[in-house]
Amino acid sequence: MSQTIREESGKTVVELGGEIDLDRAPHVRRILLDCVARGRDLLVDLSQVSYIDSSGIASLVEALQSAGKGGTAFGLVAVSPQALRVFELARLDQVFTIHPDIDTALKAAG
Amino acid sequence: MTDRSDTRASEHLQTQAAAAPVVEVENLQAHYGERQVLHDIGLTVSPGEIMVIMGGSGSGKSTLLRHLVGLTRPTAGRVELLGLDITRARAMEMMRLRRKLGVAFQGGALFSSMTVLENVMLPLQEHTQLDRKTMEIMARLKLEVVNLAEAEAMMPAELSGGMLKRAAVARAIVMDPALLFFDEPSAGLDPVVSSALDDLILKLRDAMNMTIVVVTHELESAFKIADRITVLDQGRILLVDDVAGVRRSENPRIQNLLNRRSEETEVDARSYLRRLTGEAPLAPVLHSEDSGVS
Amino acid sequence: MLRFAEGIGRGVVRGVEEVGFAGALFAESLFWAFAGPARRQPVRLPAVFAQMMQIGIEALPIATVLAATIGMMLAIQSLYSLGLFGAESFATIGIALSVVREFAPLIIGILIAGRSGSALAARFSTMTINQEVDALRVIGISPVRFLVAPSLFAMMIMVPVLTMWANIVALTAAGLMVTASLEISLAAYHADVLAALSVNDLAHGLGKSVLFAAVVALVSAVNGALADGGAEGVGRRTTRAVVHSIAAIIMVDMIFAFVVTSG
Repeated sequence: MSQTIREESGKTVVELGGEIDLDRAPHVRRILLDCVARGRDLLVDLSQVSYIDSSGIASLVEALQSAGKGGTAFGLVAVSPQALRVFELARLDQVFTIHPDIDTALKAAG
Repeated sequence: MTDRSDTRASEHLQTQAAAAPVVEVENLQAHYGERQVLHDIGLTVSPGEIMVIMGGSGSGKSTLLRHLVGLTRPTAGRVELLGLDITRARAMEMMRLRRKLGVAFQGGALFSSMTVLENVMLPLQEHTQLDRKTMEIMARLKLEVVNLAEAEAMMPAELSGGMLKRAAVARAIVMDPALLFFDEPSAGLDPVVSSALDDLILKLRDAMNMTIVVVTHELESAFKIADRITVLDQGRILLVDDVAGVRRSENPRIQNLLNRRSEETEVDARSYLRRLTGEAPLAPVLHSEDSGVS
Repeated sequence: MLRFAEGIGRGVVRGVEEVGFAGALFAESLFWAFAGPARRQPVRLPAVFAQMMQIGIEALPIATVLAATIGMMLAIQSLYSLGLFGAESFATIGIALSVVREFAPLIIGILIAGRSGSALAARFSTMTINQEVDALRVIGISPVRFLVAPSLFAMMIMVPVLTMWANIVALTAAGLMVTASLEISLAAYHADVLAALSVNDLAHGLGKSVLFAAVVALVSAVNGALADGGAEGVGRRTTRAVVHSIAAIIMVDMIFAFVVTSG
């Protein structure tokens, strides 16, 4: 698993990669919560993620809630069809803001 | 060191699963005391497939399930799950495999001293080092999937039969297993609830790409969810085929099953009469009794 | 006749099997206690504490009443029987030894068999029948580690504690009778008791109580694990567990006394 963190147009962009499973989720969770704590709007780019299980999704949920409390926006970018099906199964597609790609996400207001 | 070999083993498991069948049973023989209850069972289930194991009571389907999930060791034969032969696996290999298996029992088998949420979280607590908050969210997500979000704080004794089964599914899938076993999803439920469970099984397969093995005696449910059906009778496999194939089958025993006729139709009138009048109390029983495990 | 002999034979075989099973449960519980933490599968301490509360603390009132009654009863009988020889002054020694070496461990053992043994057997049987034990196994949790070990260890800790408490209560209650009857002070009685007792006597009684605890926990666990046949099976197994526990306690008591005193 890999990740890069950068600031772009006043937003924090985290790019995650590889497999996010039970063993990697604690690491992802820490990164996400740290990024949310920076106090800027956060975009999580999942385009390089080959597999995400529900521990990864749970980490996203926790980060989303944490961002909501801090009053910053939290968006997901390029969610894979596999992950999207799992999102829909738990109706999470109605909870997260999901952008098709990073450019659209950066242009989007908020 | 251990960490690295763990990773390699799990990668090995995954590549195996992608290529090979998820479940492979060969030559399985099982005895209950002196009596042989499973004869020469062979079975393969492919990734993403829903395999329904069907049969009446005493057909040996529950016994087969116990062997498939590693609760009972066979007298002979091989049971391979995700590439691991569970009849010969060592404890640590078995432990690693258990993370990828889910089993939903007939009556739910929830731990009565824990709330629904604690029940669903238990496999995570035992198998992972995740943060408690993450575990709670994962468990709630699964309760959401089985439509039981409102029951998380309830105790198992407060749940209805259908709710128990759904909670059991939530617990079984909390670790995103590659392979899910489901014992009698329809038993004891009214048709509406039972049909909702069938939909859930299909949804799980489609969204999470799970391989699912369902044991049932309900024909309707089997026809609705199955990719293939294995028909068991008196401990032997009668037929393995898709739904259409089972419907087409001309095997009289399968026809009996389809027409829901009991196997007791052929009665020896004289011995029956003797039994009724108490003259032959030890006359052979028509139905072999259930194999003792349900 | 043949059938009768066959029945006895089967009973013996089953008995030996069950004793072997109990031994295996004990060994496996010890295994998990020591090897569990390294495998990230510890025997959970909260479960042990919860059991200790149920087995020990909640049994305190009834244990106190029983111990006090036994103490008084012993005092009355000792004073009476020794009084026949005009030897009342020796009553304290007899009471002290019989309470500490025999009555306190035995009465607490039987109390625990009836109170906690039955509860354990009922819980384990229900869990077996509801497939909860199967569910533990398919999740990859050892039922011995998760269910048997916490109860076993809680019992082996709390039964000696209860026995020690019963020693104090019974001797105090007996003291009330003795001091009144012999017209001596409580302090003098206290000194007599301490003079009569050695560490050895105390260890004898408490050691036995640890054995009783293990016996009750294991008999209950074995019966629970072998349960079948619905709610009726639970009842049958529970009764069987209590009867077998009490019988086993009395036999262990005798064997222990024989081995220790002859050695």
